[in-house]
Amino acid sequence: MDDAIKPVVDWLRERNPTVEEIPEDLDLIENRLIDSLAFMEFILLLEDVIGRELHLDQIDVDQFRTLRSLTDHFLKR
Amino acid sequence: MPMPSVNTPSTGPAGTTAGDDTEFRTLLDRLSDKATADYYNPFTTFDWPPTIPADGLWMSPELLSVHGTGLMDELSPAQLQALGRWESVNFYSLNVHGIRELLIEVTRRIHTTGFELPSEFFHHFIGEENDHMWFFATFCLKYADKIYPDRTVKLPEAPRAQDVENFLVFARILIFEQIVDHYNVHLAADQRLHPTVRHINRLHHQDESRHIAFGCRLVQLLWERLLDRGLNEADRLDLRDYLGRYLTTSMESFYSPAVYRDAGLTDGFALRRRLLAHPARQAAHAKVLHKTTDFLHRIGVFDARH
Ligand SMILES: [Fe+2]
Ligand SMILES: [Fe+2]
Repeated sequence: MDDAIKPVVDWLRERNPTVEEIPEDLDLIENRLIDSLAFMEFILLLEDVIGRELHLDQIDVDQFRTLRSLTDHFLKR
Repeated sequence: MPMPSVNTPSTGPAGTTAGDDTEFRTLLDRLSDKATADYYNPFTTFDWPPTIPADGLWMSPELLSVHGTGLMDELSPAQLQALGRWESVNFYSLNVHGIRELLIEVTRRIHTTGFELPSEFFHHFIGEENDHMWFFATFCLKYADKIYPDRTVKLPEAPRAQDVENFLVFARILIFEQIVDHYNVHLAADQRLHPTVRHINRLHHQDESRHIAFGCRLVQLLWERLLDRGLNEADRLDLRDYLGRYLTTSMESFYSPAVYRDAGLTDGFALRRRLLAHPARQAAHAKVLHKTTDFLHRIGVFDARH
């Protein structure tokens, strides 16, 4: 896993101290590592990492489901 | 009509009709009468001056997200004014989006099974919230040329039981209204602020006192119905945890990287995290939330651990 995703992984672990390891394809929403309440801060974190604001009325939730899709959609240059 | 009895468990899904409802009816009648007596036309009530001077105070310094931290001394008076201006626009924007959510939820329930009793008051509530949304949005658009976008997203989640969902909807509305009211009361009383700022906050507080009196009663009733039908321990813990996090998240929405950027402060996300970790800010949140947490303890939603 490359470095760009590290702040995201750190944040998820901080929020979910009982989770040991987060596989790249784990569904973060279905497994409740992120829920609607946590998503607000999660978006701010992601915006900080990528350096631009996201338009939340246009987002596709599936892009946020796994570490792999987060990397593919937001963190690849 | 069947005779109401205190111990009759609810049969309807929303469950506000069973039990002894005399007290609830009396409160609803009183609040509806008061709403009629206090009724005003928002579209003619306010003088909207062409501008509100940017070099004045828009927000009480005590309500700023940096209050109690070293930044109060580090920032220049002009920077604090800019921050106050954008934090006030954020506050009214949060109101606009919060009201959209509560209008949707209350409208979904008015004149449906289980909500027969409060439906009359819901008409006042919905009408008033439409007015509030209009004057908050007008303020933002007229004086700041924007409403900060809604930062909430509903993720697909396993649905809870309908009566649990009803309880949560009205608990969230009440929490939102009590937090906002803390700011309204302070802003309405602060003589350093522009008269238009004070006016919208004063009128909002006046209407919200009725909504909050109603909300406390309804939330307690919905909670008691959940207990009567035998809420299991896991669901109880889930509700406690959820509402505790809802309180935290609500306070955190006052720490906006977009606001910090507009006020000329760099690295807004890091600033937000630093401020949120500051003991003075946690103490400030406890002050804003104390009526809500007292209430949730009193009716037994929170226990000693919260
Ligand atoms: Fe309101
Ligand atoms: Fe309200």
